[in-house]
Amino acid sequence: MPSTILYGGASRGRHLLDHLVRYALIAAIVTVFAAFSAAAPTFLAPANLQSILVNNFTLLAIVAIAMTFAVSAGGIDLSVGTAIDFASFTFVSLVLAGQPVPLAVLAGIASGALVGVFNAALIAGIGISPFLATLGTLFIGRSLQQLLTNGGNPVYLPPAGVPEAFRFIGHGTVFGIPFPLVVVFLVIVGSGVALSKTRFGRVVTAIGIQTSVARYSGVAVPAHIAVTYVLTGAVAAIAGLILTSTVTVYIPSSGNAFLLNAIGATFIGTTLSPLGRPNIPGTVLGVLLLSIVANGLLLTGLNFYWQQVGTGLLIFVVLSISFINQKAKRRA
Amino acid sequence: MSQPSPQGATALALNIRGAVKHFGGARALSGASLAVRRGTVHGLVGQNGAGKSTLIKLLAGLHTLDEGVIEIEGQAQDTLTPHLAEELGIHFIHQDRLLVPTFTVGEALFLGREPRIAGTPFLDRRAMQRQAAAILDRYFGIRLPNSALIADLSTAEKQIVQITRALLHSPKILVFDEPTAALVRREADILFSLIRRLKEEGITIIYISHYLGEIEALCDTVTILRNGIDVATLAVRDTSAAAIASLMIERDIEEMFPKRTVAIGDPVLSVSRLSSPGKYHDISFTVRRGEVLGVTGLLGSGAKELLRTLFGLEPALSGEILAGGKAVRFKRPSDAVRDHLALVPEDRRGNGVALDLSVTENTTLAGLKRFTRLGFLDPARERAEVDGLIERLQVKTSGRDALLRALSGGNQQKVAIAKWLSRQSEIYLLDEPTVGVDVGSKVEIYKLIGELAERGAGVLVLSSDLAELVGITDRILVLFRGRVVKEFVSSDTSPDAVLAEATGSLEGRRHVG
Repeated sequence: MPSTILYGGASRGRHLLDHLVRYALIAAIVTVFAAFSAAAPTFLAPANLQSILVNNFTLLAIVAIAMTFAVSAGGIDLSVGTAIDFASFTFVSLVLAGQPVPLAVLAGIASGALVGVFNAALIAGIGISPFLATLGTLFIGRSLQQLLTNGGNPVYLPPAGVPEAFRFIGHGTVFGIPFPLVVVFLVIVGSGVALSKTRFGRVVTAIGIQTSVARYSGVAVPAHIAVTYVLTGAVAAIAGLILTSTVTVYIPSSGNAFLLNAIGATFIGTTLSPLGRPNIPGTVLGVLLLSIVANGLLLTGLNFYWQQVGTGLLIFVVLSISFINQKAKRRA
Repeated sequence: MSQPSPQGATALALNIRGAVKHFGGARALSGASLAVRRGTVHGLVGQNGAGKSTLIKLLAGLHTLDEGVIEIEGQAQDTLTPHLAEELGIHFIHQDRLLVPTFTVGEALFLGREPRIAGTPFLDRRAMQRQAAAILDRYFGIRLPNSALIADLSTAEKQIVQITRALLHSPKILVFDEPTAALVRREADILFSLIRRLKEEGITIIYISHYLGEIEALCDTVTILRNGIDVATLAVRDTSAAAIASLMIERDIEEMFPKRTVAIGDPVLSVSRLSSPGKYHDISFTVRRGEVLGVTGLLGSGAKELLRTLFGLEPALSGEILAGGKAVRFKRPSDAVRDHLALVPEDRRGNGVALDLSVTENTTLAGLKRFTRLGFLDPARERAEVDGLIERLQVKTSGRDALLRALSGGNQQKVAIAKWLSRQSEIYLLDEPTVGVDVGSKVEIYKLIGELAERGAGVLVLSSDLAELVGITDRILVLFRGRVVKEFVSSDTSPDAVLAEATGSLEGRRHVG
């Protein structure tokens, strides 16, 4: 990936430490990768590597990219899980009702976007802080799902009667490449271009860095913020569709499982960029790092509960690097 | 006159001699002296940056002297702290400061010196209420429950709380720092009679104000600061507001202002009978193409609010604005920008430029549409534009990708202006365009303002630097307490004359006396 896409092409760091920071994520990924290769013989097996990408990376990457939109504009979206769940529920319900799969896909994405519209109304319309607004949405979304499913019962699709198009989303391949990987690739490229190559992305970045300056420059700040939350909901919905198709079941409130990792990956990517801005490539590398750690720790036979300790330590290391770098910059 | 005091016989309550104070490389005070006789009201005046607030902060123990002596009641004080200053009986009445909004009146009044019920650690709330009520009744004739919340008080009531807090501690010296800036006239009158009464009771008053009319009416003596030094200390009855004003102003910078002749064209911004209650009233003026209109006024004159209205940052209640010949009513800045208005705000680092965006990103933010095709940015055109503007405005930067944080204040300000050149704006509102800018950049910014006019833009400059205003504008409107009190033709006036109007020398005498 060319470095101009990596960091928005705005600045080329000239300091050695900037380079260290720029490559710190890649260095961390290589280090972790090498460590697990040595520690767990099965880690390097092609089947495992594919599993990292398909099982660990794909869904989290999409959710973290969704999160990156909200964070870019200076906000946060705690309700990405709600968008995932609503998309999943709509998708499953329409397929069960015998509707065509493409229609169900569109309706699923629309319902995720609708969660975003709700957030946008609270944040850009009323002016509630993003943290509280999306926390409220998270609670409401959880209750609604309980109500829709008689207290949280999963909605299964009968294995026999599943349309081929539905199965394809989670299990199909294109030229031998798993379809979810194709989707995640398109989401990465599309989002990366949107944030770093378009007027929209530039304006959102300016809002995220200093809202008042954007406002005083004549930028329609609320409208742009609103769009980021709708985008966040819509992109998160894509993860909901793949998840549902993979497991052929809708489990209420299961989307929230991605929330903390998505925030972690987004902020790892933000912190370890030379300009300290949220950016898609940084987020993707953050997700890759978390995915490798999660998979590797599992393979080494470590207790499941230790995985969280690993993730936590990782975040501390990342923050320390960034902190040292900033201190050095201040001294310079 | 002098009264014996425990420290020895002296007529001076306060004597600061040769005060020198640096902040980094900048010299805020370069040998200022201030001698205040006991039981007098002593005025302290000077333009922004003259050193008034530094001097007062030294007295409050918030800064320490680099050189010089502070004597209080004849006693040298080398290690003044805020606590010691209060122990010595020096109290400060600031505008809007030092009161925590979530405190109650009682907490604000007694903070740090709460009366206790004898022999217990418990607060004596009854004593607190009694002491506070006694002072409030005696000096102000009002009742203010100790349980009221500071946030719910009016500005005048907050000030009463500050004064009451001081009076509870039997003050010797009271320092009033711009006390009337946010008061309505009736409240100011109450304050003035209070100050006279405190003087009769033997309290020494130091009174800082931009309103020279108030100084004339209230003070016995006045000290004028300029560039960190006291240029004169005068008996008020022997001088006049005009004489004080002329001492406040620097006079060797006239050559800073490039002369230019520009053909004045059609009106580009017309304002008629614009009013916003409590802020400004019945304002009318016109800016033409090629014209630079100056606006000035003290804090509370409504000039700031007027500018905010013109850029869609706050509404007006009535009146009309014509921009480019079209009647407009801006609800938000984006409306104003669409109609080719540009604002270079006073708070450069807060609202003018984003320190963590690059020169390029800052420069093209307002006019980004020009560099966009089908939603995508066109980096080549953006580069060409920004490089061109860096060259034209002589922005000193390591390159267009440098973050604004790395630029000096003057160069940041050039970028703040470049943003609107890139937007191709036609009406420029410049709010204190050279505040915090070094002299070299100042001259370049003046030249740039001249160029804007030459290219047919209409420019409105709001400034409290009157030499600058007279130097670079064609006409000057003076606002005082929300109204246009005077319009000057810049070539026929002087900073002194403008200052006399802006400080309400005549007006002030009428309402104080």
